[in-house]
This record gives sequence, structure tokens and C-alpha cells, in this order.
Amino acid sequence: MIQLFHVSKYYDRRLALSDITLEVGKGEFILLMGPSGAGKSTLLKLLIGAERPEEGQIFMQGRSLAKLRPSEIPLLRRKVGVVLQDFRLLPKKTVFDNVSLPLLVQGAANGEIRRKVTEALRAVGLDHKKDLFPPGLSTGEQQRICIARAIVNGPIVLLADEPTGNLDPDLTSEIIELFKSINARGTTVIVATHDPNVLAQVNRRVITLDHGKLVSNEPVSA
Amino acid sequence: MRRLLYLLREALANVLTNRTTTVVAVATTAFTFACVGVFLLLYVNLRAMALSLEQDIQVMVYLQDDVTGQVKSEIEQQLKADRAVAALTFVSKEQALADFQVQFPAESHLLQGLGQNPLPASFVVTLAAESRSSDAMRRWADRTKLITGVGQVQYNQDWVEALAGMVKYIELAAIIVGVILSAASVTIIANTIRLALYSRREEIEILGMIGASTTFIRVPYLLEGAALGLLGSALSLVILKAGFELFRHEIRSASRFLGVDALLTFFPWEMCLVLVLVGLFLGCAGSFLSLLRFGEGRA
Repeated sequence: MIQLFHVSKYYDRRLALSDITLEVGKGEFILLMGPSGAGKSTLLKLLIGAERPEEGQIFMQGRSLAKLRPSEIPLLRRKVGVVLQDFRLLPKKTVFDNVSLPLLVQGAANGEIRRKVTEALRAVGLDHKKDLFPPGLSTGEQQRICIARAIVNGPIVLLADEPTGNLDPDLTSEIIELFKSINARGTTVIVATHDPNVLAQVNRRVITLDHGKLVSNEPVSA
Repeated sequence: MRRLLYLLREALANVLTNRTTTVVAVATTAFTFACVGVFLLLYVNLRAMALSLEQDIQVMVYLQDDVTGQVKSEIEQQLKADRAVAALTFVSKEQALADFQVQFPAESHLLQGLGQNPLPASFVVTLAAESRSSDAMRRWADRTKLITGVGQVQYNQDWVEALAGMVKYIELAAIIVGVILSAASVTIIANTIRLALYSRREEIEILGMIGASTTFIRVPYLLEGAALGLLGSALSLVILKAGFELFRHEIRSASRFLGVDALLTFFPWEMCLVLVLVGLFLGCAGSFLSLLRFGEGRA
């Protein structure tokens, strides 16, 4: 479903990713490991069209991202859910309004928005908090709201960049379980992290980057 | 529907979040528009006055003292045949004297001292509408002077030419001031929108990340700019109207300008509407400039 061929990315001549070639199949759960500065976030940015590679090709569902017109990038992003370490929730909007944003920008009808937002909030166990504002929630709850926003429009792939970076071990387990259940429903999940606790809980394929280079691409261990 | 409501709510939120900047932007826009409006108002009134003067103006074609009845008839025929002449009236020497005595009773003894009537007979000519401009009048007067038996051709040439010249200058000044101050208004609105964009840049990034189109992100800011321009221009019209009424009141109370106040006119409602729409358009232009500078990638 996602293919990268010899992808390289530079920031002001500084190498961020070097000659990455890999493939992600439909419905896979992948851990993207590596220390800070390894190139994990850059790789995720390339996958949502926020950055363009200097070299190489990226394909999503058989379509080259390099050939997307600027007006097509929002359409790509509607197929990809994104979860970030700092949540990026709008503090002055209710939980319901935050989660409904991806549907709103697509022009979904009121009934559809209500139904899908309720489903997404139920999936993360926070449907009873829909009228609260993000600053009134705990960090774990805020991260779950962020996940609800990422899955509300049924993306084909969910990208999470250090989703447990701000969470304690108990909350980390909760969030990882949530990703597993989302993956079990058929969504491809790619979690970028340097947290060994996550690795310990996920027995899935691990791709390791270091200094922008692919150092290992381990299949699922038995 | 929900999307439209969201965009309108966001535009309103932008305005309310940056209340002080919004008030300052509307006030400065109103002030700059009012400055342009003063010139426009001056132009509209002077132009109306010039047109009215041109319509009232009559040309006096004085005959030489020794013209015979035959020559007078030939001049009359020639003037009647002239397409530039709309109407003409003959004023005999006797009629001219009688008119003088009625109009200037205190000075009538001056003419009595001369013995015979020194006032010439004349034709009072009203020119056709297309020949009432100062250039056309001058050309017509020069041509008529050459007719045998015509002594002098007179009209209020200085007045007509001075007024026409003044209207041209005011028109030019209104255009120059209008362009400069409109650019200033666009800049003020553009800066206000830029502040709004920077204060909400995180929200803009989130919208971009979840797949909002550029149009969806930009519309609230374009609406905000349009609202600022519209409010600024509407407020400037209120200021202008108040100033205009005050000026008319002052003119009315000054006896030496008796009747002048009746000649003064404010913008017709169609022009008010156009000015408000121009404000709206300039507001949109200001927003658009800021959005362009903010960057295609983010907004």
C-alpha cells in the first residue's frame, strides 16, 4: 500500500533521510524506531505530503506523491490520520468540535458528523466528555481525543509520531492497546517512537532508522 | 450548511479575538476613506455646479451701432441657421436701456449725461447642450465675431473656464488621493489579517494536517478582511454625512451664502452603495495579500 524507493531528504544540505527503500502492506502495524534525529518524523512528513523528497519516489495506493498537484494534497491527507506527541488540539473548541474537524473540512452532513464523531469518541472511551474543552482533560485523555480525530473519517493509514512521548507507562499501554484495536479493524498503523516500552508491548514489524539511514527492517518475530 | 456556519463563526471569532486591532483597523480605514470621500464630495458638487452654470449661461452677441435693419435680419437668419444655437432673443437699444435702468436704478443718471443711448442692440443666444463646454463656446464666439455687423461677443468666459479647470484639478486630486489612501487602507487591513493569521497559525497548521483545502482555510480571513473594509467604508460615509450636514448648516446661517446650501448635494444612494462595495473589495484584497505572504504551504 505504501512504497518508498531510494528516498532521500535534505534540510539545508543536512541529510535527514538517505536512500530509504521499504514497503508497507495493507493492514500492517509497524513500529518505526530510532533515536531523536534519526529521521522518523521526516519520513512521516513525507507520507502526508508536508515535505517532498529530493530523491526517490513514494507511492501510496499505487499513486506517486511526487505527481500530486497542490490541490490534491488535502485529498491525500483525508486518507491519512495523524497523531502527534503534542496532541495539537484546539483549546477553545469542545472535544466534539475538535474530533469533527476532519469531517467538517470534507463537507460531511450534520447527521454523518454526529454519528461518526460519537463512534470515534466511543472507540477511545471518551464519548461522555464530548462537551468538555481540551485544557480540562488529562494528557492521556487529550491523546485519546487526538486519536479519535485521526480515525473519525476512516483513514486507510494512521501515522503516529511519538504518541506516548508525554505519557506515563500505564497511559502508554492504554494508547498502544488503542492502536492495536484500530489496526485490528483493518487500518494500517505506523507508530514512530524511541520509547522501548512501546517496543516491549508490540510484537510487530520494526523498522529502525539511525542518522537518516535504514538500519534494520525486522519482520514480526514468532 | 455546518461548513458555512463554521466559516462564518471562524471569521467572527477572528474579529472578536483581535478586538483592539479590529477597532483600530476599522477606524483608520474609515478615516482614510473619509479623506477620499471629501475629495469625491467636492468633485461631485463642483461638477454639478459647473453643469448648472453651463446650462444657464447665455452669450451676448452685440451689434455694431450703425447696422441697418437688413443687416440685423441677415445676422438673425445666420444665427437661427447655426446648429450650435438653441434659442435667441433680440434686445433692441431701447430695451437694453430700459433693462439697465431697472437693474441699476442708482447708476441710470450716468447714461442720461451722455445724451444719446450708448447701449448697443444685441442677440441673447442660448447655445445647444453640446456647445456649452468652455472650448466649444470660445470657438463659437470667435466664429460669430466674424459675421458682418457683429460688434462683440461676450459670455462669462473666465467663470466657465475657471470652474471647468477647477473641476479637472479636483478630479485629478481625487484620483491621486483615492489611489494612495486606498493602498493605505489595503495595507492596514492586510496587517490586521496578518496578525490574525499569526495568532492562529497553529490552528491553520492543524487544519492543513487534517486535509482542509486552501480555500477552506482562507475563507474566514477573506470574510474578516471584507467585513473590515465594509465597516470602514460604511463608517466613513456616516462621518462624511455628519460633516456634510454640519457644513450645510454653517453655510445656511451665513447670510452672504444665501441659497448656496440648496445647491449642495450628498452622494446619491447608488454611489454610497458603490463606495461600500469598494471598501469590501479593498478589504478582501488586503486579506488576500496577507494570505499570499503567509504562504501557500500553511494557508
